[in-house]
Amino acid sequence: MRALVLLWSLGPLLWQLRTSLLPPDALVGQGPTAWTLENYRLVLSGDPPLWASLRNSGLVGLGTTLLTLSLALPCAYALQRHRAGLLGWGVGAVLLAASLFPTVLLFLGLLEMARSLHLANSLTALCLPYTALALPLAILILRAAIAALPPELEDAARLEGLALGQRLRSVLLPLLAPALASTAILTFLASWNEYPIALTWISRVDRLTLPTAMARLAGSSVFTVPYGAFAAATVLGSLPLLLLVLVAQRWIISGLTQGAVKG
Amino acid sequence: MIPLLAVDLLLMLPALLLLGVVFLLPLLRDAWLSLHASTVVTGLMAVPNGAANWWRLFDDARFRQDAFQTVRFTGVSVALELVLGLGLALLLHRPGRGRALLRALVLLPWALPTTVMALGWRWILNDPHGPLNGLLQAVGLPTFGFLTTPSTTWLAVVVADVWKTTPFVALLLLAGLQSIPVDLVEALQLEGAGRLTILRRLTLPLLAPWIALALLFRIAQSLGVFDLIQVLTGGGPAGSTESLAMYAYRQSLRFLDFGYGATVLMATFLLLLLPGVIWLLLQNRLPRRTA
Repeated sequence: MRALVLLWSLGPLLWQLRTSLLPPDALVGQGPTAWTLENYRLVLSGDPPLWASLRNSGLVGLGTTLLTLSLALPCAYALQRHRAGLLGWGVGAVLLAASLFPTVLLFLGLLEMARSLHLANSLTALCLPYTALALPLAILILRAAIAALPPELEDAARLEGLALGQRLRSVLLPLLAPALASTAILTFLASWNEYPIALTWISRVDRLTLPTAMARLAGSSVFTVPYGAFAAATVLGSLPLLLLVLVAQRWIISGLTQGAVKG
Repeated sequence: MIPLLAVDLLLMLPALLLLGVVFLLPLLRDAWLSLHASTVVTGLMAVPNGAANWWRLFDDARFRQDAFQTVRFTGVSVALELVLGLGLALLLHRPGRGRALLRALVLLPWALPTTVMALGWRWILNDPHGPLNGLLQAVGLPTFGFLTTPSTTWLAVVVADVWKTTPFVALLLLAGLQSIPVDLVEALQLEGAGRLTILRRLTLPLLAPWIALALLFRIAQSLGVFDLIQVLTGGGPAGSTESLAMYAYRQSLRFLDFGYGATVLMATFLLLLLPGVIWLLLQNRLPRRTA
């Protein structure tokens, strides 16, 4: 059973890996199956080179993650204190609704905003909607983690005369480290994978993020039988996430379940 | 001394403000734009035109077709994801060596960018050179145009979506499984209950809130499906896989008809409210039944 599940999950990925290492002729069954790195050379030296979009996605992901954490933590902290009240319930309901919302429905309004504020083609500006998309789940995860802390802890810190900033730094942050890690990883994942907003905001080829660069590859016919190049791009675009998931599997799971279920 | 409530509101303000700008403003703008003409003819200026866009929507066969296709895609893929996700969650819940690694590997399809893997599936389903057609040929069958046959291509889209999102459903349900007290399971086992009885009498009822949440998440996301189909089929062949979000995108950015594009988006939003309301109604009933 496990072997079957692994085959289903990994099969398509492994096939991409195989495809990426074959010359175009071999893919259509006409040449010898000799292994080659030619496809990787093609996508990395293409116009724009794929590494540029990998870099863009990485930068946007990091910016989004930092901004999300710094906005979500104070909000979750304050929200937790009103958990029982109407305010806490209302904001919580709004956050849940927002986290369910398919973001593609926002593209038209966001596009107009980007145009009138001259934010199009700015990777920095792209972090703003991405942060907003990540915030609901981030706040729910962090609120659940803060709720799980022993309440005496903060009282003790307050009695010691520590100011809010100090309480946050020396008491809360270390204890919240796992939840912060979950939030950071899920935020980075979401930002790395986002497509519709990047599609409408970014038109300059050197500013494309990975998903938009991939879709552009799919729409172009630069390569004769382009699937080897596609596959190489797929492998390169998946590698960072592969590492992330293997290393951080525990936090991804706990974050998803805490935020979605207990939130 | 500043009152605590004021401090808390101040702490929440930046996050809530950004949420309002990114979520609420575009929706309000869509609603407003759906009552205006904003096309190349009007010089992309919004000119009030009453409910003309909405009347057009009711008469639009393409909209009806896409709405049907979106709902069909949602119904079939979410149902499959729920069943397979439950099985997968049960498998991942079972103790055994290498469980953490198995969970990580199973999670992979969900973590990868949709556009990236949609491209991968395009190759797998390619006619005649993809591996799936290679398999068909190997057993002596003719090749099949998985992505070029209008009547069945939507099923190929469903398969790719199930591959990608089942891990997510499984994870949510796994969290539910982990919250079930072990003593309850053991008590039933002592009574001589078989695995199927335990599943039916204990696991599924206790899992109900998680199943409802997973359903809500997946239905909402599927009704807005865009990335996967855009890259896998581009909505083809012959528009047979086009979703509502893709139609709205095409109307606004290809035909530059922003008023009508906004109307399609609003209609999709209204369609989306339906499962939300049903879930809220169920929310009030489920705890009483499982208590």
